Amino acid sequence: MEIKLDGVEGSLVLIKQGAEARVLESTFVGRRSIVKERFSKKYRHPSLDSKLTIKRLNAEARCMTKARKLGVSTPVLYAVDALLHTLTFEFVEGQAVKDILLDFGSQGIVEERLNDIATQIGDAIGKLHDGGLIHGDLTTSNMLIRSGTNQLVLIDFGLSFTSTLPEDKAVDLYVLERALLSMHSSCGNVMDKILAAYRKSSKQWSSTLNKLAQVRQRGRKRTMVG
Amino acid sequence: MKTFDVAGATLSLALFADVTNSKELLDLMQAGTLEPEVAFLNASLIPDVFPVLAAAYKTHIAKSRESLTTRTLHSELVYNYSGSKHISESLKRCGISDSTSYILVARFGASADEMAVIKGLIKGTEIGLEELATRADQSQIQKQYKISALELGISSVSDAITCRIAARDAL
Repeated sequence: MEIKLDGVEGSLVLIKQGAEARVLESTFVGRRSIVKERFSKKYRHPSLDSKLTIKRLNAEARCMTKARKLGVSTPVLYAVDALLHTLTFEFVEGQAVKDILLDFGSQGIVEERLNDIATQIGDAIGKLHDGGLIHGDLTTSNMLIRSGTNQLVLIDFGLSFTSTLPEDKAVDLYVLERALLSMHSSCGNVMDKILAAYRKSSKQWSSTLNKLAQVRQRGRKRTMVG
Repeated sequence: MKTFDVAGATLSLALFADVTNSKELLDLMQAGTLEPEVAFLNASLIPDVFPVLAAAYKTHIAKSRESLTTRTLHSELVYNYSGSKHISESLKRCGISDSTSYILVARFGASADEMAVIKGLIKGTEIGLEELATRADQSQIQKQYKISALELGISSVSDAITCRIAARDAL
């Protein structure tokens, strides 16, 4: 009666390698999964390195699950391993928003689809911000559209933190605005659509958007002169 | 009964309804004389096997590192399934009480003989694991795991529980 589910257990396939972590594909008790491994930095003192890595690992797990509690879809967290410095989560089947928008750029825009995606993005960010969660790395490659349901899924909470300051929320939006401008200018003004949805979703939209206007003037970093 | 593969170990699960001798089972377990050792889970809190497997994965890893938080491997499974850090509350809520009649039995690395012994111990009807979904107590689950309606808009109950099991030690 035995059911063998983990035929490929342990087989890890590298998908992406970044400066802080590598992302691998694997299986977790029978389901396709993604493993994000934060590796150690050899230039740091070992005890400091391990402390920082674990702190960031836990912060990411916390922020991902907090986003779900706020009604924003993120991959299901399957396991956290503080010894191997890995997070295991659900493999989300679907395209990155980045690729969808790039396709729009080269093959023509499907207006209805673009509006749906922009609305979902604005709505999701509004929910996060009202719950005091800042994503920290809002780019179109960190947003997936789940195949079948067309639901937006936010990924990579590695730079996320909690804050209720309009400044932090505005910078979060500004990062996305810059990313859209540089990658997807051929899609028209997606940011306006996103902000329209954000305004509907966030109760505190007005202070955030006022701040955003200031941030646009000066850039992401506050000038620390004087 | 079904057996699942969890990180190289096996976990056997069997589901029982209309159990009449839960007090006896509880006494045996608390006295430490239950042979073979198993985990009794309050099946009303289990909408699907997947969160149980996630808890089992965590348990198995802790065992292999000799870092169990509770006294036995199988009590650790119950504790891990709860998604809480409070051991005695976890065992009370996710384990069985005197009056529990709907029970999921779990054992790591069980042989066929052992599972037969376990089935002999339990006075109840064995039913298929697919019954978990329909028999789960949604309101009790939402209360135990503090799952809001907002979260259920984007997630299944089973996924919400899995996240809590996985993230517990990160909180």
